[in-house]
Amino acid sequence: MNTSERYNRQIILPEIGEVGQYKLLKAKVLVIGAGGLASSILPYLAAAGVGEIGIVDDDVIEISNLHRQVIYKSSAVGKYKVDESKLMISELNPLIKVNAISEKLSGKNAISLFKKYDIIVDATDNIFIKYLINDACLVTDKPMVYGSIFRFQGQVSVFNYQNGPTYRCLFPDENTQSLNCEDAGVIGISVGIIGMLQANEVIKMILGIGEVMNGKILVYNILNNEQQKYDFEKSTNFVMDKEVFEEKYKEVENQVEEISASAILNEIDNHEVLFLDVRNNDEVPKINFKNGIQIPLMNLENEFKKLNPNQTIYVYCQSGIRSKIAVELLQKKEFKNVKSIAGGALAMKQLLKEKVSN
Amino acid sequence: MIEIKYFGAVAEKTKCEFEKIVSSEISLQELLQDLEEKYHFNSLSFSVAVNQKIVPKATDFTLKTSDIVALLPPFAGG
Repeated sequence: MNTSERYNRQIILPEIGEVGQYKLLKAKVLVIGAGGLASSILPYLAAAGVGEIGIVDDDVIEISNLHRQVIYKSSAVGKYKVDESKLMISELNPLIKVNAISEKLSGKNAISLFKKYDIIVDATDNIFIKYLINDACLVTDKPMVYGSIFRFQGQVSVFNYQNGPTYRCLFPDENTQSLNCEDAGVIGISVGIIGMLQANEVIKMILGIGEVMNGKILVYNILNNEQQKYDFEKSTNFVMDKEVFEEKYKEVENQVEEISASAILNEIDNHEVLFLDVRNNDEVPKINFKNGIQIPLMNLENEFKKLNPNQTIYVYCQSGIRSKIAVELLQKKEFKNVKSIAGGALAMKQLLKEKVSN
Repeated sequence: MIEIKYFGAVAEKTKCEFEKIVSSEISLQELLQDLEEKYHFNSLSFSVAVNQKIVPKATDFTLKTSDIVALLPPFAGG
């Protein structure tokens, strides 16, 4: 294979050269999430010749992904994203190694996975996982390339690079929530641009060129093309080591019991059960349970006393992520029987049409 | 004049991406409190930047004319 011909146009850049190309070949990059952001991160890293790329995702391709996850074909609906993205990369650049990891990232696998790579790229769509990635990067001392979208705006930053600040320094409040693409809506171009900017940070770090977005967050608005950069500093208000990490992420996984949206159908009129909505007041669809209450996750720490710790409580949010955090919090407050409704309001919406309003 | 910029879900609450307020001798915390009363951010969480630099949430100091304050919530989509 003629490697230097393939990469010739970037090798002739004085900032890259044969030496830079060799650095790319030796680099190992782990991309968490194989959705919209990854759809631009993966092809550009692969085409540039990043030697080893790991992809972590346990989702299958849905038809509603295709408008923004442009690396997938219509014929691949129903197949695993990691398998399809591996196939795409092997056709694009057979010289590089791709590891398709069809698992959900968790406290159990994060540390051992991260240890095998040099750079970790956050291409996920939920805040809980972003804290998990951040914390596992701290434990394994790896830089994290962050990218995220809210409708037509995106954010990019690099955390924990050369002992720099982390996601927790920028956003210390981990009980926060923001709508993901499924809930908020998104256009392919915004995730494409932000993913491209993430790939650019990865390449700069590998080559040691330019200025890495270390301690800076870029906010990009594609509707008016305004870009703002904000500086932030390292905060020392928290400790994250292996012990803290294991303690923190073990609990969430081992103890949170889930109940499926279909299983709650039998319990709807059971007055012994309370349905707790931990979304914000303005989130839709609203589900009108007779025995329902709303306490946004952010307020739960202060308002949990409104609830009876001996009652059976089914907690839900939009998609089933915040509700798990809420269950964990309530369990710490000695609540005996709390479960998270898997898939949240979006899953219930399908089953409970008569109780749903917008 | 102090300029305030809003991003993401915060801008959806305020229904504008920036505004200017005519005010002298207002502190950052007073400004944040005024905005909270005006827009009821409630459970929305955001970081605060003054002149392109994120400041710790509890910091307080008197804002100067021409300062630019930005409210930056985390985004989640991908």
